[in-house]
Amino acid sequence: MKFSVYRYNPETDSEPYMQMFEIEQRQGMMLRDALLAIQEQDESFTFRHSCGEGVCGSDGVNVNGSNKLACIAPLTELKDPVEVRPFPGRPVIRDLVVDMSQFYAQYNQVDPWLQRKEPLPEQEILQTPEERDQLDGLYECIMCGCCSTACPSFWWNPDKFLGPQALLSACRFLADSRDQAGEERLDKLEGPYKLFRCHTIMSCVEACPKGLNPTKAIGHIKAIMLKEAI
Amino acid sequence: MSRRASGLRAWFLQRATAIYLILFLLYLLQHLIFNPPDSFAAWQGWVAQPLVGLGLLLCFASLLLHAWVGFRDVLIDYVHPTAIRVSILTLFGFALIGCALWVMQTIFLATVA
Amino acid sequence: MALEKQRFDTLILGAGGAGLNAALQLANANLKVAVVSKVFPTRSHTVAAQGGVNAALANVLPDNWHWHMFDTVKGSDYLGDQDAIEYMCREAIPTVYELEHNGVPFSRLANGKIYQRAFGGQSQDFGGEQAARTCAAADRTGHAILHTLYQQNIRAKTHFYDEYFAVDLIKDDAGMILGALVLNIATGEPLLIESKTTLLATGGCGQVFRTTSNAHINTGDGMAMVLRADLPLMDMEFFQFHPTGIAGKGMLITEGVRGEGGYLINKDGDRFMEKYAPNAKDLASRDVVARSIVTEVRDGHGCGPEADHVMLKVNHLSEDVIAKRLPGIRESAKIFAGVDPVKDPIPVFPTAHYVMGGIPTDRFGRVMPTADDDGEHLPGLYAAGECACASVHGANRLGGNSLLDILVFGRLAGHNIIDYVKENKAHRPLNEASVEASMARLGRWDAKGDGMTVSQLRNEFRKTMEDHAGVFRVEDMMAEGVEKIKQVREKLNDVRLTDHTRTFNTNRTEALELENLIDVGLAIAVSALHRKESRGAHSRPDYPKRDDAEWMKHTLYWRESDKLDYKGVRVQPLTVESFPPKERVY
Repeated sequence: MKFSVYRYNPETDSEPYMQMFEIEQRQGMMLRDALLAIQEQDESFTFRHSCGEGVCGSDGVNVNGSNKLACIAPLTELKDPVEVRPFPGRPVIRDLVVDMSQFYAQYNQVDPWLQRKEPLPEQEILQTPEERDQLDGLYECIMCGCCSTACPSFWWNPDKFLGPQALLSACRFLADSRDQAGEERLDKLEGPYKLFRCHTIMSCVEACPKGLNPTKAIGHIKAIMLKEAI
Repeated sequence: MSRRASGLRAWFLQRATAIYLILFLLYLLQHLIFNPPDSFAAWQGWVAQPLVGLGLLLCFASLLLHAWVGFRDVLIDYVHPTAIRVSILTLFGFALIGCALWVMQTIFLATVA
Repeated sequence: MALEKQRFDTLILGAGGAGLNAALQLANANLKVAVVSKVFPTRSHTVAAQGGVNAALANVLPDNWHWHMFDTVKGSDYLGDQDAIEYMCREAIPTVYELEHNGVPFSRLANGKIYQRAFGGQSQDFGGEQAARTCAAADRTGHAILHTLYQQNIRAKTHFYDEYFAVDLIKDDAGMILGALVLNIATGEPLLIESKTTLLATGGCGQVFRTTSNAHINTGDGMAMVLRADLPLMDMEFFQFHPTGIAGKGMLITEGVRGEGGYLINKDGDRFMEKYAPNAKDLASRDVVARSIVTEVRDGHGCGPEADHVMLKVNHLSEDVIAKRLPGIRESAKIFAGVDPVKDPIPVFPTAHYVMGGIPTDRFGRVMPTADDDGEHLPGLYAAGECACASVHGANRLGGNSLLDILVFGRLAGHNIIDYVKENKAHRPLNEASVEASMARLGRWDAKGDGMTVSQLRNEFRKTMEDHAGVFRVEDMMAEGVEKIKQVREKLNDVRLTDHTRTFNTNRTEALELENLIDVGLAIAVSALHRKESRGAHSRPDYPKRDDAEWMKHTLYWRESDKLDYKGVRVQPLTVESFPPKERVY
């Protein structure tokens, strides 16, 4: 199987370029295995990876035009030759490694932690299974960045639009029956940029390797806002 | 509602005006199919009815507001230097106000005629 | 260029559950704390823990911490220190409530309390009926906990050094730890972090084995740093093989699957665990189940064309239970084994999972540098989590006790550090010689020329570990293994990098990781070779019995001339009576 891989090392290359590699495809091979095989051929080839089972969120890359997690992208589902590039719209540090600091900064902006005003009980804060169900589809995010870096609105205004990942996280806390800072959370999302740059393009939904739906979460936030406003 | 006006109000306005536009255009379409006016006077008479005049006024108001929000969205997405964006928005705003005055004049003239 | 230096009250190496829970206590107390992690914190391997965290909340079935303590002592095959175990089991309860208050989205019961599931080795009333003690957030408990702890650390404004690789501890002539030399992976520049206290929370070393449930990053960095600082590692021969890794791949299928009612079958469809553990069956302790699977396969009852694995049957459970309680497992089985557990059984085989041993600490997380039973701790150096050995897991860890271990001892180490820093306000003078030694070790990788590649030697090493230090261990095989690993250590000198640039050079960090792996691998192999008994996860067909008279003691290994020493097990708990060793049946 042939791979065309994005290469750039700021110390040795003036321009990025694509390099071809050929890998012997074995049964059950994932894209990460192929990238590791490429690394055995050329030790200078660099990408992030860790758990190998789609939970740590390290190895998000752009494959044949779509953002995927390499460790759970079977080679059998990829068109040969496979073109592997870094996430679009982020500054490249080297090869497939991009600078995600802005993505993390946007996450921090939504105050992503549970906020209580009442004093804490001695035991657990009670929550019914139905209330807990509201968090399904929100809390599972692994912060790989596949969604936000596939979002045109995030490409256009990465400094001002929070992006699908951060908004999904905002929704996770708005939806938590234990959280008591809903008003403040909504206030923090005011203005034309942070939330309302989403134009329901839905690239995030297609990109999410965990099958989550940030667009739906964003719609949910808007609905809560509207309800609060009326 | 004012607290989150620039985000939520714009978003809501765009959707509310869209719904009104769809409904009013459907009404307009059925009117033109089933009662096509055959003369200028008939047109004028139709527009002169208070309800129709109000509906038209609201239709154009919606159209202009809808255009304003949409155009503003496009500028926010693509035009990042503040000075240029504000200048274009101001020009566009004046153009829209001009259109609004023209519409009001037309409907007013039809009503008094 | 001059070496950049930074000063903090506390340096925490590692941003998994232990490091982040410690950091949270420290940041809440307004200490100046730096957390160094070689990956972005939520990529730490705590994220992969599935089943849950044990605490005797008694939300589902009757329970109390004393039963939990009994199960843990028994599970440890009586090698665990009973004071630390008592402490952990008592602290489990407030620790889980604190996590819940911090926002962990635990699954819930109809009455609104935290959902608890049955796990292996759990009993009511000191060995009676099965207990349900494992608090779970579906089958993503580690993910839920790690993300929550990171979120709380954002709130507390903890200072993170993301993607910095810790190279060595810096030490003065009195043996005190002064901080660490770390490497900014993105720029390749070294940075010296001086600290009054240092907490090692670097996690496990599963990458020493070829087939493992552990992530690429689990390379025993903190353990190897400790070895290089002339400090010992304890009980490294006890390495847990999780019974149910996806066959041939190693990805974990949580014990929670069996807790929810799944069971193992061989090629004839027999539920073979009934034979090996008549009472607990599939929920016997992990070492027991792993050995049973290997025995079944060796006796020719394996499944598949190579007869090299067994099957985990789940399809008798309703699709609803699987969707609600085991969604992540269903996803993993589909992706990596190509089966939908709702319809077909999952092919499984034991996979290297967890090291019970590690950096010896007391129950306050303070590192114990000697083999004296009543020895003093080393002031200012702490360890918590999988890299540490308190020792609460002894010879075998129970499922659900590892998240508990990292959270309880991470939190506790944090509290102890706060007290220590109150009394020790000054930084000790820097020892330039130690910094230079560490810089020289880094500089060694700038050598150019022909040689082996990092991946060649790594593959050779991991294969050797798997062949010679796996589930079953006999004398000759292990002695050969130790020799081979020593040869591997020699070959390290012949390894050369082809990439000598600075920017995000993974070739270089992987070389540093390989050095760590080999040091830790040798600690495992040497410790294992000398323990002539079978206890917990350490299974010697040539010494099939546990030998309490001779071997109820902890192994200590030093890197210098591969020296071993031993120290006694602390059998006296804090407030209750000791559990004397008994035969361990499930």
